[in-house]
Amino acid sequence: MRPMLKSEFRKVTSLRGPWLLLAAGPLIVVAGVTGLVESGGNVHDPAVQRQALAHVGLTAVLTLIFGLIAVAGEYRGGSIADTFLSFPGRRRVIAAKLAVYGLLGGAAGLVSALVAVAVTAAWWSARGGRLHLSGSLTWLTLAGGLGACLAFAVIGVGLGALVRNLAGAVALALAWIALVEGIVGQLIGSGLARWLPFYASEALDRTNLAGATRLLPQWGGGLVLLGYAALFAGTAVVTTLRRDVT
Amino acid sequence: MELEVRDLTKTFGAVTAVRAVTFTAPAGQVTGLLGPNGSGKTTTLRAALGLVRPTSGTALIGGVPYARLERPRRAVGAMLEATGFHPGRRARDHLRVLAAAAEVPDRRVDEVLDQVGLAGSAKRRVREFSLGMRQRLGLASALLGDPQVLLLDEPANGLDPAGMAWLRELLRGLARQGRCVVVASHVLSEVAQTVDRVVIVSAGELRFAGPLSELGPGGALESAFLKLTVTPAELAG
Repeated sequence: MRPMLKSEFRKVTSLRGPWLLLAAGPLIVVAGVTGLVESGGNVHDPAVQRQALAHVGLTAVLTLIFGLIAVAGEYRGGSIADTFLSFPGRRRVIAAKLAVYGLLGGAAGLVSALVAVAVTAAWWSARGGRLHLSGSLTWLTLAGGLGACLAFAVIGVGLGALVRNLAGAVALALAWIALVEGIVGQLIGSGLARWLPFYASEALDRTNLAGATRLLPQWGGGLVLLGYAALFAGTAVVTTLRRDVT
Repeated sequence: MELEVRDLTKTFGAVTAVRAVTFTAPAGQVTGLLGPNGSGKTTTLRAALGLVRPTSGTALIGGVPYARLERPRRAVGAMLEATGFHPGRRARDHLRVLAAAAEVPDRRVDEVLDQVGLAGSAKRRVREFSLGMRQRLGLASALLGDPQVLLLDEPANGLDPAGMAWLRELLRGLARQGRCVVVASHVLSEVAQTVDRVVIVSAGELRFAGPLSELGPGGALESAFLKLTVTPAELAG
């Protein structure tokens, strides 16, 4: 497994694209927290503080695309053949990608979390408030955002291995986030909708962009998201095993 | 080690790409896998490399399927089309990825870059490369693990005359060291001076397998090749 992980790591560190993508995460967090304060967010309200820190979860959209690149990007460029020549055991190739991209996705979430704390602290002190880091809700919010980043990187790897067409996979993922899940959610009602991946992630990272009232509890959202990640990862492994690479 | 293809058949849906092809490419020789475009050369190589699953029959390297080789990159060097590189990656980084996978020391990267004449372009991104340079990078990838078997798909594509001469010497030298070298090509004249043996396929079927000399002397080669690769329909027309 070590050569495989080392090779995957060298692959991702030798490209600029994935890093530019992940670098957008902290920028989104800075912009989001700033926007919250500038639009009149009360820095003395603990709920507003949580809202500010919950911006970490937005990075998950980027780690999803980051994960998509892992396999679909290789099919697009044709380097997947090279990868399977190095490691004919395709199951382990996918496993290594899930591990490397999952970890890097989690690391991106960690960076976003640190940036979120720093920028929130800066705005809070500028507006005469004080950042409260002692509350367990603060840490749960940050941890939820980080977990969502990790889970969506894994889901991205799985979806990319399934769809293989990079442009198609990115379009599908973005359309699902922006349109499809909301519509499906309305059709099936909020009782069922909260089990959908992005509703689950909103429960986990507490972004609650849709303003849904009936989200799962945070731990429940985490478990559901974990289930989706396992489902996509498993499907990725199974569909990759027998497929011809032409 | 040698490449041994036995009764290999591969169908993609309704299309039979390769039909019951049998041949052996021995160690210490350059074997030309020849045939027109779409004749099944690439599918045969990809089956030997475990990238496509044979419908029936086998393609063995040193007696085992590719997937069962202990260290595949040390045993087999493969060069497929010149498009399998990420355009944004530097040539040296591309090889470092493979070096980590093959568990060869990083100094091999510089050795093979030197060997294929790309040492001066090692830090350039592949998107800046000409087709000929990509071919050289493909060869460097194949040579990286110092393999005993080399399977090369149209390696001369995009090379200038000097590059072709260089490639010829390289392949002859590798065979002299006792390696099994297989070169797929659709241009017989391109490989006539390089190969010891030829395997001719057409429309997915084997037409000839044997020493180059059996095809006839010098100028007769091209006409023998054309005769062997013409399809029955074309003959009737």
